[in-house]
Amino acid sequence: MNIILLLFIILCSMFASASLNNIYAVNGGIDHFFEVSDAPDIEVTISDTGINDPDGKIEAAFRELPGVREIRTERILIFFSSKYFQYKGEKLDTFVNPAYAASDSEMGMNYFDEDNNVIEHVEKGYFYSNSPFLQNTDIKKGDEVTIAVGDLNLKLTYAGRLKSAFHSNEDSANAFLLLNHEDFETASVEDILHMQDYTVMYVHTDDVKAVEDLAKDYSFIYLSTQESMRGNFLYDMLVAYVLMAISIVLMITAFVVLHFTISFTIGEEFREIGIMKAVGISNTEIRKLYIVKYLAIAVVGAVIGFFASIPLNNMMLRSISGNMVFGDDGETLTLGIISSVMIVIIVMFFCYLCTRKIKKLSPIDAVRNGETGERFKRMSIMRLGRSRLPSTVFLGMNDVASAPARFTIITIVFTLCIIIMTSMSSIATTLQSPSLRRFFDIPDSEAHILDTEMLARFMMDKDPEGLISDIETKLADNGIPGHCTISVNFVENITHGEKTATVSFTSRKGYTENRLQCDEGSAPVNDSEIAMTKTAMEKIGCGIGDKVTAQIDGKTREFIVTGSYSSFVSPGVWLYEGFDLGEQNLNGCIGFNIHFDGNPTDEEVKDNIEKVKDIFDTEKVFSTSGLINYFTGMSETITSIKQMMMILTIIVTVLVVVLMERSFISKEKSEIALMKAIGISDRDIIRQHTLRFAIVSFFAIIIASVAFLPVSNLIMNFVCSMIGDVQGIKCDYAPLEVFVILPAVLLLSAVIGSYLTALYTRTIKASDTASIE
Amino acid sequence: MNTVLQTKGLCKTYIVNKRQNNVLKNVDLSIYEGEMVAVMGPSGSGKSTLLYCVSGMDKATAGRIEFNGRDIAKCKNKEMARIRLDEMGFIFQQMYMMKNLSVLDNIILPAVKSKKNKDSRKVSEEKGRALMRKLGVDEVASNDINEVSGGQLQRACICRSMINNPKMIFADEPTGALNRSSSDEVMNELIALNREGTTIMCVTHDPKVAARCSRVLYLVDGTIVGTKELGKFDGDANELRERKRILNTWLMEQGW
Repeated sequence: MNIILLLFIILCSMFASASLNNIYAVNGGIDHFFEVSDAPDIEVTISDTGINDPDGKIEAAFRELPGVREIRTERILIFFSSKYFQYKGEKLDTFVNPAYAASDSEMGMNYFDEDNNVIEHVEKGYFYSNSPFLQNTDIKKGDEVTIAVGDLNLKLTYAGRLKSAFHSNEDSANAFLLLNHEDFETASVEDILHMQDYTVMYVHTDDVKAVEDLAKDYSFIYLSTQESMRGNFLYDMLVAYVLMAISIVLMITAFVVLHFTISFTIGEEFREIGIMKAVGISNTEIRKLYIVKYLAIAVVGAVIGFFASIPLNNMMLRSISGNMVFGDDGETLTLGIISSVMIVIIVMFFCYLCTRKIKKLSPIDAVRNGETGERFKRMSIMRLGRSRLPSTVFLGMNDVASAPARFTIITIVFTLCIIIMTSMSSIATTLQSPSLRRFFDIPDSEAHILDTEMLARFMMDKDPEGLISDIETKLADNGIPGHCTISVNFVENITHGEKTATVSFTSRKGYTENRLQCDEGSAPVNDSEIAMTKTAMEKIGCGIGDKVTAQIDGKTREFIVTGSYSSFVSPGVWLYEGFDLGEQNLNGCIGFNIHFDGNPTDEEVKDNIEKVKDIFDTEKVFSTSGLINYFTGMSETITSIKQMMMILTIIVTVLVVVLMERSFISKEKSEIALMKAIGISDRDIIRQHTLRFAIVSFFAIIIASVAFLPVSNLIMNFVCSMIGDVQGIKCDYAPLEVFVILPAVLLLSAVIGSYLTALYTRTIKASDTASIE
Repeated sequence: MNTVLQTKGLCKTYIVNKRQNNVLKNVDLSIYEGEMVAVMGPSGSGKSTLLYCVSGMDKATAGRIEFNGRDIAKCKNKEMARIRLDEMGFIFQQMYMMKNLSVLDNIILPAVKSKKNKDSRKVSEEKGRALMRKLGVDEVASNDINEVSGGQLQRACICRSMINNPKMIFADEPTGALNRSSSDEVMNELIALNREGTTIMCVTHDPKVAARCSRVLYLVDGTIVGTKELGKFDGDANELRERKRILNTWLMEQGW
C-alpha cells in the first residue's frame, strides 16, 4: 500500500506542478508577451496613405493628441494574393487573405524569432513570416521564395517564423512578412503601391478614447486596441485553458484518490495500532509514527513528482508557446517547488485527518477494526438467494453496493473523464456542422469564392450588383447556372438616445430566398428596419422595437430594431437586403456565395466547384463545410485536443484502475484466499474484480451521457461568445462517437486495466487463509 | 473400508532466505471413509501444512496425494478449485466469511458456485436454512457476520462446509478461537456430521478435541511418528473422559 500511496503522491505532485505552471502561463502569458513586445495601446491603420494622407497631416494630428507618449510608424505593403509568391517555381495557392510586409527599419514593436530573441534586423535577401504564410506549404528555413508582381521579381530566403503580439497565427489571419529595409524599398514598386499603401501607427497613449474619437472623423482609418489584439491568441488561450481544465481534473482526481488511499492504508493497519495501544504506546506517539512515515513518503513522492512534472509541463506549454514568448524558467522552477511543498502539506493534512480516528479508539476497538471474525463492520446489501443474477455478477454488484463511498469516487473520476472526452467531441462536431452556417451569414449556397483579388475589385467597384450579375452570367454560360450573393460590411456610428457606438453594418447583396435568422424578433423587411446583435444593442442601450439613427452614405437614417441575431463574422447591425448603400465606403466582404440551380447532388457540387475554379482562375473556392472549417480553424485544434484527451483519459483511467484495484487486492487478500479455499476458481475471482470496474464505468457512462450536452453547450457558448457575438448555440454531436466509441474507450480501458491488475490475485493461494493476520 | 485420502512420500519444502526448510518429509497416510482423524503435534511440526497439501490448498513439493481415487497433486488450479468446491469442505480456526454477504449467503455461496449442484437458488437457500436449523443458528441467517457470536459464526462455517455434501471436511483448529462452551458445541456438531458418514480430518492442539476423533496422528518435524486408534466416539461424557486419559498417556509417550 505504501508503494501505491507513493505512486499517487508522485502523480499528484506531477499534475499540481504542471497545472500551476500552466495556469501561470495562461494568465500571465499574454501580459508578459505584450510587455516584452512593447505593444502599443492602440494600433491606427491609415489605408491608401498616398491618397488619404499624402502630406502626413492626419498622422501629425494623432501625434498631437493629449496623452500620446509615443507613436511608431510602419509602412505596410499589401500583397493581395498568395499567387504573388512563388516557391519551388510554383505560385503559392495557399493563404486566402492578403499578405502584409513591413521593413526592419520601421518595426513598430518588438518581433521575436523562434528562439524568443528580439529581431533587431533582417539580413538582406531574407525574410521572417508568421504561420499563416506557411500554411499548407513545406517552406523551411533557408528555402527561397520569390515575390513576383508586375515588374517586381524579388528572391528572398526564409529566415524563420516570427512571433508578434499584434499579428495572429491562425490560418484565416493575414500573413505578415518582415523584410530587410532595402528589400522592402525594392518591393515598393508602383504596381503594389497604387492600391496597397498603408501606414500603421503604433500609439502608446494614456488616452485611448481620444485616439478613437479622432479616428471617427476618417472612414479610411481602422483601429485595433491592445484588448482586441489579445483576441489573436484566443485559440492559443483556448488550448491552454482546456489543458488547464484537464490538469485541474487530473489534480482533483489525484487528490481524491490520495485521500482515499491514505485512509485505506491507515485502515489496514488498525491491528498494528491496536497492538501498540495495548502495549501502552500513547495516541500522540502512534500518530507521530504515522505522520513521520507519511511525511517521508510525501517528501519522496513530491520530489520525484516535481522532476516528472518538468517534461509534462514542457509538453503542455509547447502547445501554446509556439506563438508567444513566455517568461524565464526561474518562475517554472519556483512554481514547481511551491506545488511540491503544497502536496506535502496536503498529504500531511489528509494524514492528520485520517489519523484522528486513532484517538477515538480503545485497544480492543482498534484490534476489531481489522479483517476477520466478528470485527467486520460492513453491511451486506444484496441477497444472493433472492437474486437471479449469475453468481459472479452478483458478487461484483454486491461489492459495489456494499462500498458506495469507495466506488463513488471511481464513478466520479470516470464520469469526469468521459464528459471531457464527449464534450470535446461535441464541440469539434458543432464547429464543423452546417448548422453553424447561419452564424456565418451564409445563405443557401454550395460554393464560395474567397479570392482576394476578386473581392478587392468588388470592394472598389461602385457597381457591386453589376459584378454579381457578371458572375451569374459566366456561371450560366458555362453550364452551371446559379445565383450569387455577397455580404458586405462597413463601420459607422449608431445612436440611441444619448448613447453612440461604432459598429459594423452588414448588408447582403444579390438574390437569395434566405432571410436573416433572428434569435428574437424578426429580420428587417424594409429600408427602415434593422436587426442587431445583443452586444451591439447593449452598447447603445436599445432593445427590439426601439428607434435608432445612423449615418450611412452621408445621410442620417432612422431605423427601428426588429430583432436580435447572432453572428461570428458580422456582429453589429444587419440591414435589409434591398437597402441601397449608395456611395458608402465598404470595409470588407465575405466571399461570393453561389447557389447552383436545380438542387445538384454532392458529386455534382464537387464538379461545379472545379468548374468555378477554372472559370474565375482561382483555387480559392470552398464548399460550405470547407468554408466553415476555414472560419473555425479552431475545430482542428479542438479535434487534436479531443485526441489528446482520449489518450490522457485512457492513461488516467488505467492509472486509477490499476492503483485502486491493487489497493483492493491488498485489502481483500483474506477474502480472496477464502474464496479460493472454498473452491471458487481464479477465473471467477478475476471476473468479479473486473466486473466491479465495468459496473462503475457503466454508471459513469450513463451519468456522462446525460450531463455531456449541457456541459458542451456551456463551453461552446463561452468559446463562441469570445469569437463572435453569438449566443444560445446548441451543440451537435455524433451519436456513434459520443454514446458508443468514447464510452467504449473508457469501458475498455477500465476493463483491460482491472483485468490485468486482477491477474495478480492468482498469486494469492488458498492456504494464505491461514497466514493472514 | 474405502480410502478417501491417501498420500505417499508427501514432501513439502519452503525456501526461506535461500535456506531450505523441509516441513513435510515423506508423509504416508490413509484416511478411510467415515473416519474422523485428528492431526496433533507440537507447533511448527507441519500439521497445518499437511492439511493444506492434502486438501489441495497448497502444492506439495513431491509425492502423491490421492483424493477419492484421483491424484490431486497433478491437478491444475482450475480442476483443484472444482474438487474443493464440490468434494471438500473447509473449517478454519478464524471464522473467515465474506464480509459483504449475510450469514446465509455465505453458506450458500459454494452451492451457487458449484456446477455439479443443479438445484435452483431457492432450493440452495432452503438447504442452507435447513443446515443452519440443524446446527441451531437459523435465527442469524439474515444477519451480517459482525452481528453474530464467534460460536455461531463457526457453526455457520460448518454449514458452509456441508452445503455441497462433501466427501471430506478439513478442519484447521476449528475450536481454536472459541471459548469452552462454544468449542464443545462445535465439536458436537462435527461428531454428528461424522456419524452421518462425513469423513473429517482435523488439525488440533487440544486433546479434548482429538479425544472425540476415531484416530489420532502425531506429527513431529514433518513426519508422522505415531498413530493412535481410539475408535468411534458415541458422545458419552464418561467415555470422553476415558478417551482423554488414554490419549494424554499416549501423547506423553510421544513427547507431548
